Amino acid sequence: MNWDWEKLQEKRQRQSGPLPGPDLGDLNEKVKQFKQMNLPGWRVILLAALLLWLGSGIYLVQPDEVGVVQRFGAYDRTTEPGPHYRLPFPFESVQTPQVTKIQRLEVGFRGSSSFASGSGNQVRLVPEESLMLTGDENIVDVQFIVQYLIENAQDYLFNVANQDKTVKDAAEAAMREVIGYNKIDSALTDDKLTIQNDTRDLLQKILDSYNSGIRIVAVQLQDVHPPRQVIDAFKDVASAKEDKSRFINEAEAYENDLIPRTRGEAAAILNQAQAYKESKILQAKGDSDRFLFVLEEYRKAQDITKKRIYLETMEEILSRPEVEKIIISNESMQRVFPYLPLQRSGKATVNGQGKEGGAN
Amino acid sequence: MKTIQFTIGGVVIAVFLLLQCLFVVDQTERAIVLQLGKPVGNADYGPGLHFKLPFIQNVIFFDARVLEYDAPAAEILTQDKKNMVVDNYSRWKIVNPLLFYRTVRNVQGGLSRIDDIVYSQMREALGRYTLTEIVAVERSTIMDEVTAKANVLLGEYGINIIDVRIKRTDLPQENQMAIYGRMQAERERQAKQYRSEGREEATKITTLADKQRAILLADARRAAEGARGEGEAGATAIYAQALSQDPDFYEFVRTMDAYKKTMKEQTQFVLTPQSEFFKYLQ
Repeated sequence: MNWDWEKLQEKRQRQSGPLPGPDLGDLNEKVKQFKQMNLPGWRVILLAALLLWLGSGIYLVQPDEVGVVQRFGAYDRTTEPGPHYRLPFPFESVQTPQVTKIQRLEVGFRGSSSFASGSGNQVRLVPEESLMLTGDENIVDVQFIVQYLIENAQDYLFNVANQDKTVKDAAEAAMREVIGYNKIDSALTDDKLTIQNDTRDLLQKILDSYNSGIRIVAVQLQDVHPPRQVIDAFKDVASAKEDKSRFINEAEAYENDLIPRTRGEAAAILNQAQAYKESKILQAKGDSDRFLFVLEEYRKAQDITKKRIYLETMEEILSRPEVEKIIISNESMQRVFPYLPLQRSGKATVNGQGKEGGAN
Repeated sequence: MKTIQFTIGGVVIAVFLLLQCLFVVDQTERAIVLQLGKPVGNADYGPGLHFKLPFIQNVIFFDARVLEYDAPAAEILTQDKKNMVVDNYSRWKIVNPLLFYRTVRNVQGGLSRIDDIVYSQMREALGRYTLTEIVAVERSTIMDEVTAKANVLLGEYGINIIDVRIKRTDLPQENQMAIYGRMQAERERQAKQYRSEGREEATKITTLADKQRAILLADARRAAEGARGEGEAGATAIYAQALSQDPDFYEFVRTMDAYKKTMKEQTQFVLTPQSEFFKYLQ
């Protein structure tokens, strides 16, 4: 039974309009007429029709809706979700807008994949909506969505004609105004969040000025990019930025390679010098120790030790096979010496008197 | 049966008369009543059930909601002699239905009046600003200005302009191309700058590293020479300390050592028997 009433109510609602109710007096009179006729069949039908008519006043408000009741066209009351009763057709009518459902509006493109169920993956661009002038006279391609819901059903239904178009026009105007305040670089990069918020606030302000009863939930930038004609140049800037950091990284890599290596080399130089120093000193110590030991014994027998060392030295030198030895007498020495082939070798040593000098 | 028929007939007539006396104004509307074409009273009728005289009075309804006016995009000339395509829209309301009916009759008439006034006001206002001002800084001022002026002019038609908004401000096709060219050049400049900044930075880093290397090595060499000097000084001191105990003996021993070291290959000895070594040979 409930279902019938609902359907009936829906039907009536469709028919309902600002027309004055013609049936009221008509029906009551007819009821009297048919009562007088005293026909039980007619009565039953009439009673049923009356009940049906009264029953058409029952309506359900779904959890996501509110009921807005008009009595003779004028707003009368707003009802919460649940079953309710209103006077039947000519007296009262009801509308049930969905107030919790977030509605979505696309600007600059149509048919995004996120809401279209299944296959609807094609995004159609609308460049005349999305191309905007920025404050520094550049052109930027902005696609965004607006999410809104009905905050005040009464205002929404009665104050503004063509609500969706109103939101769309206002959204476009607001976004273009906000983009106009911004420069292209901020629109493309850092200030997206600010742009979203500014646009939302401005759009809300515009819609409030119409008393539209609409609350903007969010303005979301979908895609902000430079126009197709210049996108390559913009991409090149991005890769130039990459190049810049690459150059720097390469240089840092060079530095990171070179400096530790150099520190190693420096340490090597120092170590070698230290080694030289230590070995020089130790060598000196060794030499002097050796000298001092020998000196101690030498002092015990000076002459014989000296002689022994001299003879040992001469023996060692003269026993070397590569050393040439020429022995001539003192007298002939005076005569021969100038003719000796001294030039044969680079080094020639004249020995003789010198030995005595050394030995003495 | 006759009485019943009469009664039915009477009822139908009564209902018809009643309907002629009643009218319902919807929440979204306002209405005025005309008596033989002439408006009755000075007031209009708000939402609800109202009465009127049958037959001689009829009702005209007006939409009381915020209505739309969307102007076609038009090319305008800015103060700095630039062409610009401006697409604006307006939201308006019939505030005085009686006046509205008298002056423009219906929404269609109202729209054409708005079109005339808003368009000319818009053109006039935009002509006083430069392109940058229109796009960026003065946009809302211009819109407020046009709204205010249009309101003054449209007040006498019973129309209230809630706002005039510039929806799109675009450039004509040929100017767009120029802008694209400029944007492209601008980006190329940036790209070049980034790259050469990168090279600058890189060169700084590498040469700084080279410099550090040179300094590190030089410093190390300096320290190394110092250490060598210390070593030699230490050695000299040690030698001096030890050898000074008997310089003659040192001279002798050292000379002997030197003989051993130097007289090796390609050495000729010319010896006389008078020498110390050969004294037993004689």
